Amino acid sequence: MKLRSIMLGPIMALLLPLLCAGSGTAQEQAQAPNFPKVKEFRVERSLSPQAVACIECHKATTPGVFADWAKSEHADSNISCLDCHLIQPGDMDEAKEHAQYYNRPDMPYGEQKYFAPVASIVTPKDCSRCHPDETTQYSKSKHANTIEIMWKIDPWLNKGMNSDNERKIGCYNCHGTVIEIDDKGRIDPTTWPNAGVGRVNLDGSLGSCTSCHTRHRFSTAEARRPEACDQCHLGPDHPQIEIFEESKHGTIYNAYGDEYNFDAAPGTWSAGVDYRAPTCAACHMSGSGKVLTTHDVTERLSWETQAPLTVRPSEFAAFPANTDWKVEREKMKNICRQCHANSWTDSHYDGFDTAVEEYNEVYFKPAKKTLDELYAKGLLDQTKFFDEHLELQFYELWHHEGRRARMGAMMMAPDYAWWHGFYECKSRFNEFMEEADHLLETGEKAYVYPKYPNTGGDTTKPPKVFDKLQQ
Amino acid sequence: MRKLVKSAGLVLLGVVLAGPLFFGSMKLMVATSTPEFCASCHEIQPAVQAWRMSSHVNNPKGLRATCMDCHLPPPEDTFNFFVMKAYHGTKDVIGHLRDGAENYDVQKARANMYAEVNNETCLRCHENVLFMPDKRGAMLAHRSVLYPRPGMEKKCVDCHYDLVHTARPAHQYSQTRAVPYQAKGLRTLYGSQL
Repeated sequence: MKLRSIMLGPIMALLLPLLCAGSGTAQEQAQAPNFPKVKEFRVERSLSPQAVACIECHKATTPGVFADWAKSEHADSNISCLDCHLIQPGDMDEAKEHAQYYNRPDMPYGEQKYFAPVASIVTPKDCSRCHPDETTQYSKSKHANTIEIMWKIDPWLNKGMNSDNERKIGCYNCHGTVIEIDDKGRIDPTTWPNAGVGRVNLDGSLGSCTSCHTRHRFSTAEARRPEACDQCHLGPDHPQIEIFEESKHGTIYNAYGDEYNFDAAPGTWSAGVDYRAPTCAACHMSGSGKVLTTHDVTERLSWETQAPLTVRPSEFAAFPANTDWKVEREKMKNICRQCHANSWTDSHYDGFDTAVEEYNEVYFKPAKKTLDELYAKGLLDQTKFFDEHLELQFYELWHHEGRRARMGAMMMAPDYAWWHGFYECKSRFNEFMEEADHLLETGEKAYVYPKYPNTGGDTTKPPKVFDKLQQ
Repeated sequence: MRKLVKSAGLVLLGVVLAGPLFFGSMKLMVATSTPEFCASCHEIQPAVQAWRMSSHVNNPKGLRATCMDCHLPPPEDTFNFFVMKAYHGTKDVIGHLRDGAENYDVQKARANMYAEVNNETCLRCHENVLFMPDKRGAMLAHRSVLYPRPGMEKKCVDCHYDLVHTARPAHQYSQTRAVPYQAKGLRTLYGSQL
């Protein structure tokens, strides 16, 4: 009896798997496609125990973030979570609630000995530890300084013509927030999360590298694609992506983009070799020919086509660039010459310069003169903006079709230069002048919209930016 | 004959005087080259105390980088070394007597030092900064400092600052840091000047 039961054990142990095997394999085969293998990341290299803890825990808690990072160049170079997120002495943005995860026995590495103080927000200053030149160039750009620029010139903000939430869901997504710490010592949830290009960070640095190199891939290839730019550069007021798509450059990108080598090492991405026609980055940022790479998107410009009156970048009053447009024009032409003969380039710039001159002299200056006259005579009310029809007309003349005309001419989109551009400028100009002349002739005051909706956004210029400027 | 005696006498006097003068100035040089001597000025005491607790004293190699290693030209650059040593000593004494210890502006002195110190000074000790397999980001950054693109020149202290003369509650041994040392990032980035 005893012997039999001793024998029975091993026999059953041998038989059971065999009995189950048939159905098990079938089941596994059926289920396999629904259970893809989890991405492996064996820590087989030199990382501090704290850095390993980050990876092992986030692999389980935020697998998306982990997988993204694991496919990145950072993972390739052994740059771990801590290299960017570790806080520096004196930093105010420590993620205090994160400390609780070091008391989680149910989690791998959930022990106090793996604790490292971290911050959620990684700033350009953090990135500058390894990428000092890129961040320095970026810090000079209109991208980095866009909050200062918009608070200097924009009536929506300065006159409080929209609500704080309209700004939160609209403006600040691209332009960036001013990060604040709330009463509880946490990052103010109305200011974060945010990846705007001009975000004002707690360490005083400006912008967010993840605007274009989205986290946690931080890919160079991604930022070389026009889709990196079109998250902000689209729509009625600056349709750069639509303009690009209409241009031959965009046509070729759409037709041959899948053949482009976006993964070339920095400084080696070459026209005619890695790409057949340029993307936004190829002309505005990438090194090409004799021209060196820059992260200052303002650098190679010879006109500020987004300004009300088109000016040279060094004369852009809200944020004068420290450049000479003639030098920069030559840089841009050098880039054109990677594919085009001088005859193409010179002819193109002739058309662009003339478009700028015509816009300035024929459309903008007369309209601005008339607007000023209306204000001087008290026919338009100066206390607010956008609450009288003529103000809106004037705004759209330069901010919408006026930009489309200039940018369309610059980036070779005939439809945007003409139909969405100068054609609309003409009709806007005529309507504006008809109404203005009527007021000037009759002395009648303009109708002020009495029920202007949803105004009252904060009109205080961010002290973090403007106090510093006064010093 | 008289001439010969006079000459010989002068040489002898020279030899007799040279010995004490040489050894005296050497003693003086050694005595005035210690952190303790620097700390004999009231204004400099906090800097020396902070230095003593920093990793420039407390590291696994047992190396000590003292005041002169960073604040003066290298001794092998003899002339400049002596001139700068004398200049700084005199300047500090005059400053003390004229302005008083209470008017010593630490932040200004710190800014001056960051402006003056050059990369060669740091590189005299920190020689191998290009090959750090466990810190590839630093390798990348250091390359851009040692071989800068024209117009993009940087100083070591642009990223590595507040390291030595920073008040800390305990001795900072570099080998017992809870988390590894990282540079803080560019001090010179627009808007983040400290």
